[in-house]
Amino acid sequence: MRPGPIPSVHEHVSCPFCGLLCDDLRVRVEAEALSVQANGCERSRAQFSSAAPASPRCSVEGAEATIEQAIARAVAILSASRLPLLLAGGTDVAGMRALLELADRVGAVVDHVASESLFRNIHVLQDTGWVTTTLAEVRNRADLVVVAGGDAVSRFPRLFERCIENRSTLFDATRKAPELVFLAAQPPPGIMGRHLRVEISRLGEMFAALRALHAGARLDAGEAAGVEVSELAALLGQMQRARYGVILWAAADFAYPHAELAIQSLCELVQALNASTRFSGLPLGGTDGDITAHQVITWQSGLPLRTRFARTGPEYDPHRYSAKRLLEGGEADALLYVAALDAAHTPPAARVPSIVLAHASMSVAAGCTVHIPIATPGVDQAGHLFRTDSVVAVRLRKLVERGLPAAHEVLSQIGARLPREQE
Amino acid sequence: MIRLKGGKVYDPAHGVDGEARDIYVQDGRIVAAPGPGVAARTEYDCAGRVIMAGAIDLHTHIGGGKVNIARALLPEDHRGTGQSRAAASRSGSGHAAPSTFTTGLRYAQMGYTACFEPAMLPSNARQAHMEMGDTPIVDKGAYALLGNDDFLLRLLAGKSGPGTIRDYVAWTLHATQALGIKVVNPGGISAFKFNARELDVDQPSPHYGVTPRAVLAALTRALHELGVPHPLHVHASNLGVPGNADSTLATMQAAEGLPIHLTHIQFHSYGAEGERKFSSAAARIAEAINRHDNVTADVGQILFGQTVTASGDTMAQYRNSRHAHPGKWVCMDIECDAGCGVVPFRYRDQSFVNALQWAIGLEIFLLVDDPWRVFLTTDHPNGAPFSGYPHLVRLLMDRGFRNDRLGQIHPDAAAASVLGTIQREYSLYEIAIMTRAAPARILGLADRGHLAPGAAADVVVYADLPDREAMFACPEYVFKDGQLVAQRGRIVQVTRGATHTVKPKFDRGVERPLREFFDRYHSIAFDNFAIDAGEMIECGSRELLVHPCAGRA
Repeated sequence: MRPGPIPSVHEHVSCPFCGLLCDDLRVRVEAEALSVQANGCERSRAQFSSAAPASPRCSVEGAEATIEQAIARAVAILSASRLPLLLAGGTDVAGMRALLELADRVGAVVDHVASESLFRNIHVLQDTGWVTTTLAEVRNRADLVVVAGGDAVSRFPRLFERCIENRSTLFDATRKAPELVFLAAQPPPGIMGRHLRVEISRLGEMFAALRALHAGARLDAGEAAGVEVSELAALLGQMQRARYGVILWAAADFAYPHAELAIQSLCELVQALNASTRFSGLPLGGTDGDITAHQVITWQSGLPLRTRFARTGPEYDPHRYSAKRLLEGGEADALLYVAALDAAHTPPAARVPSIVLAHASMSVAAGCTVHIPIATPGVDQAGHLFRTDSVVAVRLRKLVERGLPAAHEVLSQIGARLPREQE
Repeated sequence: MIRLKGGKVYDPAHGVDGEARDIYVQDGRIVAAPGPGVAARTEYDCAGRVIMAGAIDLHTHIGGGKVNIARALLPEDHRGTGQSRAAASRSGSGHAAPSTFTTGLRYAQMGYTACFEPAMLPSNARQAHMEMGDTPIVDKGAYALLGNDDFLLRLLAGKSGPGTIRDYVAWTLHATQALGIKVVNPGGISAFKFNARELDVDQPSPHYGVTPRAVLAALTRALHELGVPHPLHVHASNLGVPGNADSTLATMQAAEGLPIHLTHIQFHSYGAEGERKFSSAAARIAEAINRHDNVTADVGQILFGQTVTASGDTMAQYRNSRHAHPGKWVCMDIECDAGCGVVPFRYRDQSFVNALQWAIGLEIFLLVDDPWRVFLTTDHPNGAPFSGYPHLVRLLMDRGFRNDRLGQIHPDAAAASVLGTIQREYSLYEIAIMTRAAPARILGLADRGHLAPGAAADVVVYADLPDREAMFACPEYVFKDGQLVAQRGRIVQVTRGATHTVKPKFDRGVERPLREFFDRYHSIAFDNFAIDAGEMIECGSRELLVHPCAGRA
């Protein structure tokens, strides 16, 4: 028996599995097995240790194929397509760059699987703008944290540990715990916070009432969104007294029609509070590379996701170019899907030829035409992902060599084999 | 070898003022005339045409978080601006905040070959370099923001010696792959996080009790001692506030005679006189620049029309958010580092204030005597998109054109300005100074901005048209590192640019307190902060060009 490779322990490892992108993990690598030894959460422990099967294979129409055969078929599908959809479901900056280059080549629409929730925020940004902050500011300055919608930690497990429970800050060696208020969801277990019972679908109404009170209006109604006006006035007073208030929300929790109006109302309240104190929003997202996808397409095309690379240049239409609509309505005639961060994120059902670049452990449904297992950024390859605050592009390192190609390498090879363009 | 034959050469770095000469290019460099019998492979007949080095924009917001927020904020700015892909180039869009590909191509079409992002937040440096990596053809560089970061303010409040500050500045330049250091509203961005709404040059900041003057003095001194060629790049206190000329003059004094660069000085040259309590202080500011040869400035000219303002100065941007047009805006506090504010804006020639801002910028251009110390910028996109540069050149070179425009602006603003009495017209030689030779010199780029043998072959050939706007909008030929990249406004080849950086020597001992600071307060690990040379290539840079620093410590 051949001796195995020497196990190695990596410090300050960045975890690519949620939008917090914590970069303080200790990860042990032995042969091809990874285990989180310190500073992980349940999700990171599960994701790092979900080992890829030994040498996963490409397939075409369900039959095993070489990567050359798989790429050749991908090229044939894209060449024959009149409106291909390139759908990101979890890739890094390099993967997005290559995906966009390909989209530009073949005239594709580009979207992300999480854009339904991402657009709840983008619509607000494009309509009113917002006042926001970042993780290090919350960690050092926040004296009031309002959590709207969900409980934050179900989606971002170490958020409180990293940014709220720290007792030493830049300005105070013995920080008191920030006041915590949960609107809608209950505080998570072990977290002391005030809970204000309100349905998530009525948060828009509640923020509108808070804005009215802030503007000095007198409300004749006794309650708004099922909350007594006196209680709303007390909450507003608490917000106005905060020296550095922060309101967190995960747009993914606002899963109901026109939820962007609730988020808009929230953001307008935050803008208004800054007339007399400092108050910021912190949209929580970034998981599965949605913010990364948004950032890269915005700088490369000038426009957000749901953009089509038309003959006359990029064309943005957040309604018409939603992936869901294009697939369900049968407008897209080919699908290329890239998901390297989570094996559970299988491609959406599609009745059109599909090319799936998938996390090596993903069981891809038989329906897909081309399946190519790819590297996970931060595990099999170096790369970058944008954090929830959209500011920090976290450096991801390569921890292990399992012979998997990176998404950007596969996408570039597909692009290189497309028929040469006419000038 | 390429021969550019018989053009009128403007090379102020060597005192060449329109003499007919041949320029030879080989392997990406300017070379001396070969001996007789050696024939150039390609000849371009440049008789009657104007030849200059590639233009250099030393202050243009082309990459990083705030620019991308501006893009996302304004899809309407991009409608109808689509640029289709070609075999050689990617598609893009945008007017005020164009996409990266569009930015690079549009600069190259105008004869620009190097662009410098002036406000790179250390915590956002990776994004800035990635965006610049996707900006084709032109070379790039960036100034890292310091002076509102809690690490430096703590050092200053704790009366740390100049050695530690110097080492921290050098460490920042290395870690963020920067060419220089910029300070934005010294201490003011931090103060805004403590809910202060103003901070004057001698006012102690909240919590730290550090004055903007102390920040300026410490940073100018650190850069001088490290021998970093570019002086501290300063966005002064009180941007846009009527009467701010006093704090601008105090900012110049704060350098204590050491080199200091005041950026977009137009926005800092306001008086508070007259019926509307808003007046031009351009004459005072220009006179101070003329008197202090340690001071340089770029103008940040405004041009009328729709644009978007993107700045690290959250204090000013929050104040200006009430003027947002269209009415939406973003403010962000960032990573105990700085912040950003993005406010769309429409400058109107029938607005008294906007019209006077326009006149103030031009007054500064025309009243500063030495073109080596004043630079042509619009603070893209804050005063106007960079695509307005050819128009601005014509305003400077053509008095009749300028006075026609002056006749169209708000009459009270025209009456409040001395612009109509100024006879000066810039010459081609002076334009070549302020857009080529002088920026290269002040950035420490020894082989750029001139046309002597050994220089990088960034060369532009213009038709000598009487309409200077048409001339500068669409050069006949643009060469980048010896490659023809644009011809009469058409991109013929897309190349990748390099990144200009400095790597001053410093004592790594400063990493000990920095590591402790990161461990205790930051959101990322010290070991994951710095960007190395390999990662820069991954970000999209062709190569790093490291310019020498002559340390004085």
